[in-house]
Amino acid sequence: MTVPSSHLLLLAAALFAIGIGGFLLRRNVIVVLMSIELMLAAVNVNLVAFGAFHNNDAGRVIGQVFALFVLTIAAAEVGVGLAIVLLIYRNMHSADLDDVDSLKG
Amino acid sequence: MAAGAVAGALGVVLSRNPIASVLALLLCFFALATIYLVAGFQLLAAAQILVYAGAVLVLFLFVIMLLNLGHMGPLPKLDREMFVHRRSALAIGVATAIFAASAIAITALPEPKPVSAVPEHGFDTPVSLAQSLFGTYALPFEGTSLLLLATAVAVVVLAKRTRKGAA
Repeated sequence: MTVPSSHLLLLAAALFAIGIGGFLLRRNVIVVLMSIELMLAAVNVNLVAFGAFHNNDAGRVIGQVFALFVLTIAAAEVGVGLAIVLLIYRNMHSADLDDVDSLKG
Repeated sequence: MAAGAVAGALGVVLSRNPIASVLALLLCFFALATIYLVAGFQLLAAAQILVYAGAVLVLFLFVIMLLNLGHMGPLPKLDREMFVHRRSALAIGVATAIFAASAIAITALPEPKPVSAVPEHGFDTPVSLAQSLFGTYALPFEGTSLLLLATAVAVVVLAKRTRKGAA
């Protein structure tokens, strides 16, 4: 079964736009972190779509290798992000991003 | 499958309850994994399920349960008016603009070579994967292991409680 590349790219663009919308709109810290994960998953789909353009196996695998690296980095970033969420909750007792404004001018 | 992924993504952004958002993200990741499988990238599909759905989402659930963020209280006033507030119009506008620009760019691409028929073993033979991961990209591979070590140390340092009078 062949998958047209433009469909994959459109899907990646849609997921990325939804991720950005969620990142800017929501106040709950966990949902913001999940929107970041969504954006990273959209980039993975993009990499996979472009990796499938190559003619030989060695070229096609590059898209997958890059997507694996992005996956690893996303997992690491979620770990650190959730540790920061824990610290925010410990200090402010709320998971609301609007309350984290001590750096605000 | 693509519709499932988009539905999951919308569920993440629009859900009231963070646990519903996590479940929507799980649906999205499963849909993406089947897309990767169909496109011939088997290791990535397996890694996506194992790492993203298995570890990252479970970590999210742990933190939500730990901080008890999932209780269904009355919606805070701003969230109910999330879509009529002035700054959210900007956010929705930015998101739609990005999607529209990408969509225009994608349809203006020269007719892309369709993804060729996937052979039986998928696109990632172990030989080509090993040559890529451990040969050409060996340095980033080791770099990610260093990154994971740094992440583990950082998480422990960040989440450690300081006890008064501790040694």
